[in-house]
Amino acid sequence: MTRHTGSFGRGAALLALLTLGAGQWAGAQGYTGPQVSLTFLHGFTGPDRPVMEGLIKTYNDTHPNVQVRGQAQPWGTTWQQLPALVASGKAPDVVVINEDQITGFVARGAVSPLTPAELKAAGIDKSKFFGPLFATADYKDQAYGVPVSSVAYVMFYNKDLMKKAGLDPNKPPRTRDEFLKAALACTVDKSGKKAGEAGFDPKNLDTWGVSLYNNWVGARAAYAAILQNGGQMVDKNQNAAFSSPQAVSAVQFLVDLVQKHHVARPNSTEEAELAAFSQGKVCMFPSGQWYLDRFESQKMNFGVTFLPRVGGTVRDAAWGGSSHLTLPKQRPGYDANKRKAALDFMAWMSLPAQNLAWTATGSLPTQAAVAKDPAFAKAPISGIFDRLGSVYATSGYPWVGQVMGPFDQAWEAAYLGKKTVAQALADGVKESNKQIEQARKNFQ
Amino acid sequence: MTITRAPTRTTTAPAPAPRRRIPLEPYLYLLPHALLFFVFTVYPIGYGLYISLHRWDLLNPVKTFVGSEFYRNLFTPGTPQADFFWKTLWNTTFFTVVSVPLLMAAALGLALLLHRPIFGRTFFRAVFFMPGILTVSVMGILWRWMFDNQIGLVNAARDALLGAPPIPWLSTEGLAWVPIVVGTVWWTLGFNMTLYLAALGNVPLSLYEAASLDGATPWQSLRFITLPLLAPVTLFVFVTTALSSFQLFGQSLLITGGGPSRSTQSVIQYITEEGFSNAQYSSAAAMGFVFGLIMLIFTAAQFGIMARDVKGDGA
Repeated sequence: MTRHTGSFGRGAALLALLTLGAGQWAGAQGYTGPQVSLTFLHGFTGPDRPVMEGLIKTYNDTHPNVQVRGQAQPWGTTWQQLPALVASGKAPDVVVINEDQITGFVARGAVSPLTPAELKAAGIDKSKFFGPLFATADYKDQAYGVPVSSVAYVMFYNKDLMKKAGLDPNKPPRTRDEFLKAALACTVDKSGKKAGEAGFDPKNLDTWGVSLYNNWVGARAAYAAILQNGGQMVDKNQNAAFSSPQAVSAVQFLVDLVQKHHVARPNSTEEAELAAFSQGKVCMFPSGQWYLDRFESQKMNFGVTFLPRVGGTVRDAAWGGSSHLTLPKQRPGYDANKRKAALDFMAWMSLPAQNLAWTATGSLPTQAAVAKDPAFAKAPISGIFDRLGSVYATSGYPWVGQVMGPFDQAWEAAYLGKKTVAQALADGVKESNKQIEQARKNFQ
Repeated sequence: MTITRAPTRTTTAPAPAPRRRIPLEPYLYLLPHALLFFVFTVYPIGYGLYISLHRWDLLNPVKTFVGSEFYRNLFTPGTPQADFFWKTLWNTTFFTVVSVPLLMAAALGLALLLHRPIFGRTFFRAVFFMPGILTVSVMGILWRWMFDNQIGLVNAARDALLGAPPIPWLSTEGLAWVPIVVGTVWWTLGFNMTLYLAALGNVPLSLYEAASLDGATPWQSLRFITLPLLAPVTLFVFVTTALSSFQLFGQSLLITGGGPSRSTQSVIQYITEEGFSNAQYSSAAAMGFVFGLIMLIFTAAQFGIMARDVKGDGA
């Protein structure tokens, strides 16, 4: 799955870029030192590649004393090469690292911290970005990266189907009660009986409330629900903690949608639910915002909203992925001018004008100023913009693989009904902590 | 099969070279391959062994020697490695045991059918060979769709023809193997079929003629002429198919993602997960060596059988 690709409002965003004029937002002085050239490694190899290359060219054209040479290669290749490049003192000047990898690289010493003084000098103001998004690349109260691209788990909903079920298609559910009410109203079996009615046959559904499914994307609904209920993936010692009472209660609600309320199908797959949503069979389809393009080109009458608070009432939360501009650790004697120029490039790249242009690739805005741009006024995606500050990535601990792997397995077991929710999460935490204990030895 | 000795070289060379000098020329010919062999085979194996005996991370300047710790993990009950390495090795073995006979029998059957001068023979040969040129990703997505729990063609056909309820193929332990095995057979059958077709072309027709004069039934011809003469190629097909089945990776990764509950995860997928998702390179290296050793023993046993057969068959 390529989740960092897609497109929407491409024309609008490019138009906005032209009207605004590149570089107009530049607040800081910029790099004024002698001429340097920078190597810039990133994984935008899909339809997002020409957009990135266009931005690099604009930067080079407007900054005669810095020449950035971009190099696109698959993300996985970069994760494998970066340690060797850093260890041999040949690291690129700037590297884009994704949310699930960043803390691991930081903890292993592959990335160098961005000091508050440096950020200030470059004109990077972290308060302008969405808080949790910027904090994705933080580790132990130090910043290590600046977000350049962002995706998130959202909830698509079918407006026609909602209207048919007697719901207001312009007021998608926000709370657990509203959500359950909508899901029940949408669920009708093949003989026309509604969920909860006598004689309702949950095995032969005509339309149903919500899509839940078994894969890592499906597991991100459970992730969000846990955060919404005040739960966490790891505790303060960075051990797995997704079996807390808050977590169990939040995931239980999702599993109940299948087993108790019959408003979601058991044993389903992402492909099946995607097809069902495309065919107007399911009211609400929580998934990655990268499907937006598909539904738009299908001319569906759909809306996009932030994931309702199904897990609990503590806070809004949804899973998100992001890509961050980082400065890898360099060999001793590395040219200080290069670092200054690299910071300038990072600052320029994350300015609202550039970020707006980047949203043409399907990325979400990284900062409130961009989300407010008139280019989005009519775009369906703006339905989640009021809560973009509540998008949380899986980062902050160096062993994301060791936590999310067992978590995804736990969701599978709970959703498929192979284990009780409490048992599935407890088993997942146990396995995860065994692996963390081993991983921890690598960091001593 | 007879082994003929190469004719001894007749020496027509003029004066013999000065005694005790090691001739350089043969080694120069060997050098390019030897270089590649050392750089891409010997050195990586040695380095891999080093990694498996240390707590290794490229970024960590301290690479502590831990001896056999990562090997011991595999044999210490309760560690994730002991739990999942043997489970996934068993999964892989199960896949091999189920898919190899299918891949051999079906390939032989098709070859026997398509060897005969039937109408459309070339077309059908192409049809059965064609899937093999697809990449594993195409094949995987295709069979995932075919067996999808909700929208799969197989469940749709069951519903339309039998009125039977859908079967959750992808999320039921045991059943999840069906799309993987069926898909693999469909995907790789053509290669074995082609090998059998070539071997069938080499069976002398005179043997069949003689047998039919003696009143042999078609079954007897198959049993006593065709199958024995196909024995060498059957062994070759067995060895290569078994080895490639043990390397199961893409099919299960794409069709079931290794699930449910790791029940279809292959050992190579687990080693990859340990190495690149968990960043436990040393542990992954140790598992790679243990798996490699098991494969080595397995292959040696097969070669033993092959050598015995070749000796018993001809000479």
